[in-house]
Amino acid sequence: MNLYDYKILLVDDEPDLRNMVKGFLQKAGFYKIVTAACCEEAKEIFHREAPGLILLDVMLPDGDGFSLLQRIREESEVPVIFLSARDEDENRLHGLGLGADDYITKPFLAQELILRVTAVLKRVYRVHDMQENRIIMLGGCKVDLSSGVVYRGDTEVTLTAKEYAIIQKLSENRGRIVTIDTLCETVWQEGNYGYENTLIVHIRRLREKIEEDPSHPKHLLTVRGLGYKLV
Amino acid sequence: MKKQRYRLDTKKGIRSVLYSITAIIATACLVIFLNIVFMGIGLSEYVRKTPDYVNVTWLEVTDQGYELNEDVRAKMDKNDVWAMLLNEEGQVIWEYRKPEELADSYSRADITRMSKWYLQGYPVYLRIWEDKIIVTGYPKDTLWKYNIEFSLPWIDFIKRVWVYFFLINFIWIIGLTFLFTRKWKEQREKARIEWIAGISHDIRTPLSMVMGYADTLEHDDNLSGEERQQAAVIKHQSIIMKELVEDLNLTSRLEYSMQALRKEEVRPAAVLREVAASFLNDVQEGQLQIALEIEETAEDIMIKADRRLLVRAFRNLTNNSMQHGGQADAVTIQIHMQRDKSRCIIRFEDNGMGYSEEVLRQLLNRRKKDAAQNIRGLGIVQKIIIAHGGKISFGNCQDGGSFCLIKFRSRIRL
Repeated sequence: MNLYDYKILLVDDEPDLRNMVKGFLQKAGFYKIVTAACCEEAKEIFHREAPGLILLDVMLPDGDGFSLLQRIREESEVPVIFLSARDEDENRLHGLGLGADDYITKPFLAQELILRVTAVLKRVYRVHDMQENRIIMLGGCKVDLSSGVVYRGDTEVTLTAKEYAIIQKLSENRGRIVTIDTLCETVWQEGNYGYENTLIVHIRRLREKIEEDPSHPKHLLTVRGLGYKLV
Repeated sequence: MKKQRYRLDTKKGIRSVLYSITAIIATACLVIFLNIVFMGIGLSEYVRKTPDYVNVTWLEVTDQGYELNEDVRAKMDKNDVWAMLLNEEGQVIWEYRKPEELADSYSRADITRMSKWYLQGYPVYLRIWEDKIIVTGYPKDTLWKYNIEFSLPWIDFIKRVWVYFFLINFIWIIGLTFLFTRKWKEQREKARIEWIAGISHDIRTPLSMVMGYADTLEHDDNLSGEERQQAAVIKHQSIIMKELVEDLNLTSRLEYSMQALRKEEVRPAAVLREVAASFLNDVQEGQLQIALEIEETAEDIMIKADRRLLVRAFRNLTNNSMQHGGQADAVTIQIHMQRDKSRCIIRFEDNGMGYSEEVLRQLLNRRKKDAAQNIRGLGIVQKIIIAHGGKISFGNCQDGGSFCLIKFRSRIRL
């Protein structure tokens, strides 16, 4: 199933905001969008339409989104993202604690909303965006992220698990600096502290596989003191 | 390099506390004083009620017997007072306005009884005149009489401890006043925070649409370059508004310690890297240089802090260097451990125009009235650092540019 085939239920009492968010989603490629203005309507539509994801406002005229989420959680594990006009940490944590998948604070940009929606869909339904390029081109070298293989000319090199994790993180943020700390966290998860030197070793091995001249890298660049960047 | 230093005036806070304590003590003194005055007035009222004119000089012996002094008679008439004179045998030998129901002769027992209390319900006063007794009486149900007795040791005891009693009372009054004032102040602060939270909440939804549609227009290929540029400006400004709203809310919550800090073990070096990277990712190439100078040992510094707030403070500092008249294109951030290893020092320095005298003055003067608009970004930095128990100072470098020095209690991770 394609990512964009999931039905999205949008619950917000402000009609203008509903229209805007609907527009954002349609523009991004989602075409099954249903909306509701209050808890009652949301419950009814939820049962009728069985959406794949719910965007839920916290403050609704006939109740709050938190309790609606609790009601929904009793019968379904459908992913829910809160759209809230409150930014207090307690609210955010309360929402996430109740089992929401994400919490977006108003005001937000279309880009942010779409990124979060797709991220949640990908995570929950384990589907990949069809348009997403799983193959990265780095000069004369091709990295296939679905198989973890680097092709350069006729040679094929397989990436180790850690190298794969590093290049995947970097390619997700291509053109942007990824800090040492984020990379360590990606590769070693818990207790990522103190692996900076090991990370350098992995980066060097990775460069040997993807760069033409590993000592003068053109694609996997070091940003001194901060981290690395894939260009 | 010699630096001008500006430090926060913590004495000001202490002074304001002293002021309020003085005010409370003054109020308590006033209350006690008023109590004493009212008690005095009450007592004097009571004293006035006693028939002070009931003395022996008002009866004159004449040929016809006894005669009442004119002044006294007028007074007695006015107050409805009656009188009678008893001889040694208890017989009434003279009377004035005596109620009819009263007898003309009294036994010793009668006299003893009435000397302290009432005569058939009439409050009376007895005086000895020569070998006779003058009885002065008020009408029924006009006076309450009570005999008080104290044991002498008790009086002595009271004499010794009355000062402490007074003190205890005094403390009670101060304590109560203090509690009430605090409660009242708390309520007011809470109302203010809720009011601000409400405003910031209400602004967010309309702002969503301004920001969202401006963003859409900015990327609309059907519009001319100029129109898209204008949309970009709207979007940029609405993002600034969003930040202002967030700051406003957070400021009011921090100001009244309503923001619960979610403290965890944080590595400031990592937070600084994150902030620096996100800035470099977002600004255009060459617009800003951030040099992060982290000593090898500084990597291991740990502090207890709310990560989100820390990121916010560091972002605001960097942002302030670039904007708000700072116009810096290079920011240097250093972090190192103080020599005694109890605190870490984080230093932001830029090559911009430095803080104006006005901004520095406002940063030093933390009174709410002066929390002006152009330091809002820095004001919140100040509040965040102070809420974490850190110290912060701002200043200008001698060769241009500004600096900010932050100190946190920290430890080295082993």
